[in-house]
Amino acid sequence: MSWHTEPAMLQGYAKGSLDDVRALSVEAHLLACEPCRLQLADLADRGRLDGVWERVVVAVEEPKRSAAERVLRRVGVPEHVARLVAATPSLSGAWVVAVALCLVFAVVAANAGSWGSTAFLALAPLLPVAGIAVAYGPWLDPIYELSLAAPMSNFTLLLLRASATLATTVVLAGAAALALPGPWWVAAAWLLPAFALTLATLALGSYVRQAVAASMVGLAWIAVVAPTPALAADRLAAFRLGGQATCAVVALVAATVLARRRDTFEQGGLDV
Amino acid sequence: MSEPTLELEALGKRYSRRPALQEVTLVAEGGVLGILGPNGAGKTTLLRVVATVLAPDAGRVRLLGCDPGRSEGRLTIRRRLGYLPQEPGFHRSFTAFEFVDYVAILKELVDRRERHAEVRRVLGLVGLEREAHRKIKKLSGGMRRRLALALALIGDPDLLVLDEPTVGLDPEQRLRFRALVSDRAEGRTILLSTHQTEDVAALCPRVVVLVEGRVRFDGTPNELAGLARGKVWIAREREPAARLSWRTSEGLHRHVGEPPSGAERVEPTLEDGYLLMLGAAA
Repeated sequence: MSWHTEPAMLQGYAKGSLDDVRALSVEAHLLACEPCRLQLADLADRGRLDGVWERVVVAVEEPKRSAAERVLRRVGVPEHVARLVAATPSLSGAWVVAVALCLVFAVVAANAGSWGSTAFLALAPLLPVAGIAVAYGPWLDPIYELSLAAPMSNFTLLLLRASATLATTVVLAGAAALALPGPWWVAAAWLLPAFALTLATLALGSYVRQAVAASMVGLAWIAVVAPTPALAADRLAAFRLGGQATCAVVALVAATVLARRRDTFEQGGLDV
Repeated sequence: MSEPTLELEALGKRYSRRPALQEVTLVAEGGVLGILGPNGAGKTTLLRVVATVLAPDAGRVRLLGCDPGRSEGRLTIRRRLGYLPQEPGFHRSFTAFEFVDYVAILKELVDRRERHAEVRRVLGLVGLEREAHRKIKKLSGGMRRRLALALALIGDPDLLVLDEPTVGLDPEQRLRFRALVSDRAEGRTILLSTHQTEDVAALCPRVVVLVEGRVRFDGTPNELAGLARGKVWIAREREPAARLSWRTSEGLHRHVGEPPSGAERVEPTLEDGYLLMLGAAA
């Protein structure tokens, strides 16, 4: 190259004071001219360059956000909390698809079969329970032992994952419930049972492993609701006021047990 | 006077009816403490108690001057603890960077910029900076082991609990590991459980041998090797009366036990002392 950028122009470029046209012209020249690049290196502000480099490194190394994490960030969840919650196994795409398919079948059965909405109402509260079973514990969480030894409260982590699982199920089941036949209240009749069963699973999880607790709660729920359609003339009897009041009591008792036994999730977790 | 980093007194732990730890008493203050023992000796149980993930059934534990049985003490300990479990699990679909980042959040590194700087630092310490953006499922076994070690190093902990850290590492990586641990030993306490007597000989000024949940030896590697002094000899033929014997790379037989008269005795190694002790305990 037979010509080089004037020193004053290089200085202006280094300071960022050139207009766009001149800056672009200098930049095009710098791409092809090593002597000018070396001269620019001497003029550049080292602190500014380090700052730019750091921002480049951070941008390149920024972990890719999952869809769940992006949604959580959009609704204002702090970045580090969104990262933790998004790693919950029961928020994975495969899990969400499986839950959605279950709900679609339950809605189709409710509209076509003779049992009406009962099967859907029995199934929907079990979905967050199953989600919690795979969200936390030594069998299914690959870093369970590491998380026990970390200072972050394991109880908080469990609640975060359980809340995320419950919220996902509520959104999916809530949308599916709109297609149920029967009276208007049926679309919401599964909500309180879902909440009660979730809390019961968490509370029982302070005595046995979460997966075992979820199995016990699930079996108990099936034992209660399965005979209803055959025994009662009213197939929705278990989900009317009496059933809802029972669920509210179960939720209250489970929440109390959970609050009192929260320390069991922190100490000696591998014993549970 | 400051309290020891690690104080275990008459520690006991049972799984159903089987005792895993019995009357284990240990005090450690700084440096690398090696824990040797055969499979099922209670090493992992001991390390899990020290890592606060398992509560003992009996005895007294104090770590970094705190009681792990109390919530505030446990939190203080966990903030200053690094733990590498025997079988660390991984989120296989994460990249190495994402995984360390995730565990750093569990270790209360909330600020993203600081956290990412720490992630880069620990990945650099274990030589995985070039693999930072590879998925864990595509890393080799040795790389995963180094990744697990990186997790233990987050936050530069005062108490490092490492359960079989050199399993799956090739010789060069093991040397790097030794350099890493010895650099960190200054002013910190490192509890290192291993089957590799060479690692103990290279790193640990003190070694404890656990057999059937009890402390059978507590001393220096030289003292452990010294247990076999006068009881190790080399011969051309295998000696049936020896407690242990194996063929060396030179085609000779190395024996441990009561030597016959006129035997060519050799200087014992740490492994000889350890094997003799295990033989005596069997």
